[in-house]
Amino acid sequence: MGFIEVWYLIIGNPVLNVLIALSHLLSGSFGLAIIVLTIIVRLISWPLTKRQLKSSKTMQDMQPKIQELQKKYGKNQQKLQQEMMKLYKEAGVNPLGCLWPMLIQFPIWIALYQAIMRALATTPENLLDLANRLYSWDIVNQAIPLNSHFLWLDLGQPDPYMILAIIVGGTMWVQQKMTQAPAVDPRQQSTSRMMLLMMPLMFGFLTLMFPSGLALYWAVSNIIGIITQYFFTGGWGYLKFRSPSQST
Amino acid sequence: MATTQYLSYRMKQPKILFLIVIALLPLTLVSCISGSAQLAKGWAGTAVHEGIIYVGTADGRVVTINSSTGNLEWSYSIAPVTAPSSGLACGPTLAPTAIYGTPVVDRDIVYIGTYSGKVLALNTSARGEDLPFPQARYGEWEWDCPIANAKSNAIVADLAMSEDALHVASSNGRVYSLDKGSGDENWRREDIPVLAEKLWASPVIQGDTLYVSTLDGHIYALSLETGELLDWFFESEAGFTSSPVIDEDTIFLGSFDRYLYAVKIGSDVPMWKFPEEKPAGNWFWASPIVNEGIVYAGCLDGKVYAIYAETGEELWQFESQDSRGKPAAIVSPPVLVGNLLIVANEAGNVYVINSETGDGERIKNRENSDKSTIDAQIRAPFCAQEGLVYIRGEDNQLYVVDIEKGEVSWKVNLTIEE
Repeated sequence: MGFIEVWYLIIGNPVLNVLIALSHLLSGSFGLAIIVLTIIVRLISWPLTKRQLKSSKTMQDMQPKIQELQKKYGKNQQKLQQEMMKLYKEAGVNPLGCLWPMLIQFPIWIALYQAIMRALATTPENLLDLANRLYSWDIVNQAIPLNSHFLWLDLGQPDPYMILAIIVGGTMWVQQKMTQAPAVDPRQQSTSRMMLLMMPLMFGFLTLMFPSGLALYWAVSNIIGIITQYFFTGGWGYLKFRSPSQST
Repeated sequence: MATTQYLSYRMKQPKILFLIVIALLPLTLVSCISGSAQLAKGWAGTAVHEGIIYVGTADGRVVTINSSTGNLEWSYSIAPVTAPSSGLACGPTLAPTAIYGTPVVDRDIVYIGTYSGKVLALNTSARGEDLPFPQARYGEWEWDCPIANAKSNAIVADLAMSEDALHVASSNGRVYSLDKGSGDENWRREDIPVLAEKLWASPVIQGDTLYVSTLDGHIYALSLETGELLDWFFESEAGFTSSPVIDEDTIFLGSFDRYLYAVKIGSDVPMWKFPEEKPAGNWFWASPIVNEGIVYAGCLDGKVYAIYAETGEELWQFESQDSRGKPAAIVSPPVLVGNLLIVANEAGNVYVINSETGDGERIKNRENSDKSTIDAQIRAPFCAQEGLVYIRGEDNQLYVVDIEKGEVSWKVNLTIEE
């Protein structure tokens, strides 16, 4: 069995069938099915998210100490790095741990992208191909063909009004801003600012290129992320935080 | 994110950009591959008329081949279309027009519908002389299907021909009636109902009524004269996959719920559903055929079923296979030649089955008997005449199978190098 067959067996076809089954259960709304699937994915990845949030909260609590270090070793980057790593180690925090929930979502994005394109079957070949990927569940077979309309969107096409791009970019910025600690060093500040803007801009741009069904997943996932972050860390985090240089 | 803060210390900006690009690479690649997979390629069937084979090709041409010599008579290239891009997939490109419908031949005119939303009437003499298209004096015309606020005007279904008109089901959800001689629309556009989000099944004419099945599970009856909806319609829980076939007052068609339906015209409940107990292994995609009270239906589960039209009871079933002995989907409708049923599956195997007993034999590949009958997938409808079966493979070659000899007699490459 090749990689592609294994991919469809383990991820591609289950995502496709669950999405179609959900659509049937939700009165044929493919958009609602994507939203519910997003919630399911977020629930499954909750243990990882929880670790990420815990780590984020700890780092937020460590902020005064970090700023002290930045003031103390601001001119010696190597020393600053060493001291920061020491501090992270003492607090039991892995700063790169936050990447895991994101990396784990990549296969989901790919599977979801494929599922949306396949499920909506825009060509006769797509529809025929769909027949080979569906489980024998009545609920799945009776759901075909799916309705691609949701709110103002055609879920198989990019949003022509750019509303979703703004929502995806905006929610991603808020989510990042809530957890991104402000830097003191002016050089680090510009890097941080660039990082804070780059991902939302990139995903906003991707939203203009990809089917709006996938962008809907990103938007809902970001909103869930903001809500859980708000309740887990007890507020808006760094979104309301001002760095010492800004406050003076 | 804390990670961002950490990374900003650890890495220089270009490295961060590189990391993000690497992370998004799989999505980009998949979208590129999937984007190209969205392309409609077509599976036009074959028609034979007075010794000439008519076929739409994968490279967007209508081609005629002399059935005695295998020589190309003429070929007409339909204007290419701009293929849509999807995701980060490699931008819009020019692609050959896909053709799904089987050419319809009436004397010296061949009619064909295209995925680009056109119906063409081509005159064999004018095309033989390679005159600019359309030559009105030869009865040639081209009709553009309106998009009419729909997503597409593509024509996927076969054209239905009556004495004076052609009936076209469009992906814009409407059916149009065109004058065969001029291509003018016979019905007032304001009278034409929107039957579904898209129509991919071929309409069927019986008497003065046109019957259309939809992907969302309806059968509608339209007035052949005006295009207006008639009172009767049938509604099913699941959508219909195959085009309807009518025998006397009963419509037979396959459904997404893996059943074959028999519906009496005028009734709102199915006469029967086949199989009686649990559904078949997959969809009944191909249109069934009906002969002397028996329905022959190919299924995507690889089987062909013979069913009593009156009761829905199974007479026999036959499983078609690929070269590894696994069931292979039947996409093309079967064809009857006398009492022999010709069945072709997606794996490229062609079977000759006794229509009474269900005993069948696979036609062997001439070069290697272990391989499929032809070295290509078969999805297009095929036709038979005088013991020869004309099949267009997905490799864009025309295969001629001699039933009596049980072999592929000859083949022609339909791709014409510029």
